[in-house]
Amino acid sequence: MADTGLGVRNLKVVFPCPGGVIRAVEGIDLDIHRGECATLVGESGCGKSVSALAIMRLLNTPPAVCRVDKLWLDDLDLTHLPDRQMRRIRGKHMAMIFQDAMTALNPVMTVGKQIDEIYLRHSQLSRREARQRTIEALELVGIPEARSRANSYPHQLSGGMRQRVLIAMAFACVPKLIIADEPTTALDVTIQAQVLDVLKNMQLVHRVSALLITHDLSVVANMADTVYVMYAGKIVERAAMQELFLEPLHPYTHGLLASVPRISDERQPFVQIPGAVPHPMRKPAGCYFHPRCPRSNDLCRQRMPRLEGPDDGRAVRCWHPLRQPHEVRS
Amino acid sequence: MTRNSPDPQPLLEMENVSVNFPVKGPYPFSKKRWIQAVTDVSLEVSEGETFGIVGESGCGKTTLANAMIGMVRPTAGTVRFQGVDLYALKPKAFKEARREMQMIFQNPFSSLNPRFSVYEIIREPLYIRGQASETVMKGEVRELLKLVGLDEDDMYRYPSDFSGGQRQRIAIARSIILNPRLLVCDEPVSALDVSVHAQILNLLMDIQKSRHLTYVFVSHNLAVVKNICQNMVVMYLGTIMESGSSDAIFANPLHPYTKALLSAVLDIDVTKPRDRILLEGDTPSPIDPPAGCRFWQRCPSAMKGCRTVPAELVEVEPDHQVACHLISGFSAQQVADGLHEPVSPKSGG
Repeated sequence: MADTGLGVRNLKVVFPCPGGVIRAVEGIDLDIHRGECATLVGESGCGKSVSALAIMRLLNTPPAVCRVDKLWLDDLDLTHLPDRQMRRIRGKHMAMIFQDAMTALNPVMTVGKQIDEIYLRHSQLSRREARQRTIEALELVGIPEARSRANSYPHQLSGGMRQRVLIAMAFACVPKLIIADEPTTALDVTIQAQVLDVLKNMQLVHRVSALLITHDLSVVANMADTVYVMYAGKIVERAAMQELFLEPLHPYTHGLLASVPRISDERQPFVQIPGAVPHPMRKPAGCYFHPRCPRSNDLCRQRMPRLEGPDDGRAVRCWHPLRQPHEVRS
Repeated sequence: MTRNSPDPQPLLEMENVSVNFPVKGPYPFSKKRWIQAVTDVSLEVSEGETFGIVGESGCGKTTLANAMIGMVRPTAGTVRFQGVDLYALKPKAFKEARREMQMIFQNPFSSLNPRFSVYEIIREPLYIRGQASETVMKGEVRELLKLVGLDEDDMYRYPSDFSGGQRQRIAIARSIILNPRLLVCDEPVSALDVSVHAQILNLLMDIQKSRHLTYVFVSHNLAVVKNICQNMVVMYLGTIMESGSSDAIFANPLHPYTKALLSAVLDIDVTKPRDRILLEGDTPSPIDPPAGCRFWQRCPSAMKGCRTVPAELVEVEPDHQVACHLISGFSAQQVADGLHEPVSPKSGG
């Protein structure tokens, strides 16, 4: 566990509601090695964003109730860290990039000032030095004329530029971990390609661990080292990126991959997964995916399978995977 | 006129259509400025096909679609539907014509009235047209619900009871209840979960077959457009960059923008890494767009002439037109003036 960047054991988040309890995250384990980019893939409502917020300790409690057996970042044990100390770690050792840069940035402060704040808060710098670092940070993410751009307000920048500002902010203190929550969903394809490029470069240059949250499998294919596939609050498959795309084991992953239209395809009906994601308050008994699964039988209807596989390799939560994880070469 | 009779003229024709929107100047009485959302677009949609409109946000796709079905009056140019100039029609005939064209919107969370039951939502077009009794409407709605894969009992539930995919099914049922001939789908799946994209697209294709519909499909997803469209246009900043049959365009993309767009689409094919063309900069503002080719500021192979001389659509092969000086070339006089010399996209921007 020496080189482990982020480790999470048995993270659970529930939201008590008037009509019942929403189990948003039902005990997930994550391991992200130093300098590695892991992705958490899933559809809306599967608990991927909530997991990220819980790791950052940014969820409001109440209403949310978070439990985690163990949570560490390099040599820091974050499991029972009080909020006050957590605040010193956020921004310095772990940082987050949000989906919608317009809402993540303060609209009445220039972007330069917002980045200055990070340096002033976390390192003993003068205002002048902080601004110098800010301009360097903006240049690093490819913002032209960074010196004058630092004096712009968020609404004066385009969507791609705003997302770059967020990336600059996240990397300002060279943290150990970056969590990016759908960083490019709000952007156009050509801008998305630019921003992902910047993100990947920054991550490699600083050897930062990254947790990328997305629903877009093509983003995963271009960014990830390891992939965690989430469905209805549980991780259903874990694999190295190449392996997952070449040979998915869980029927859900398999269906997702098959249903993505590809440029290279011939014209034909799209492969579809029947049904829809279960409502978080009305998850089915047994395996959560069984109502939509072509391989389901009585066992699936009654009992939830465990995430099985070698500790540090492929794992799948399924009674009838396409192949057993230990049969797959790694 | 019967539905299946061969129709020599295209179902929908747009000729030199431009749509401008006024924007407020920075000061009172300052010169009025215009957003040129769509500039000089001509296209033809024939009966029974699926016609794709592709481009990034802000390129005028939705405005163009709106102009097609009579929701935005073009500033210039004509829209002919079944050979009749749509915007020259008297109000009553205009209404009649618009019944033949319907639209499916991007976000089914905002396009359905949350206070209407599913029955009320779907029967609304019939109800507004009149001439149908409650029993008839019920029967129609029941049939459509079955067609789009929902339950008869869902009729009295409300949109909040349904997931995104199911809501889009409701929106589809509503759009086809008047038996339109043209259905404009404005990014019908981009607000939905990935695993239901395929369901909705397949449903749309099935309905097209069974009801002989013509689709105009607005999307930024090139893979989807390639799979379902016969003809398409690629738009950038309000103008058409490349148009033709989708087979021709995908087999041989010629415009630098189309090429860049295609390479920017991240594929999930992990076995063969592709060369990516990364475009510099952002889409410029459609207020006072660049003269000449609209794309020159970001174009990796821009020439001096691209800055000033607008590029015309020229036919390069049957069913394939491109608006690019690289393809059409400059006249001898222009070459003599040095307009063909390359310019780096960053300088002089």
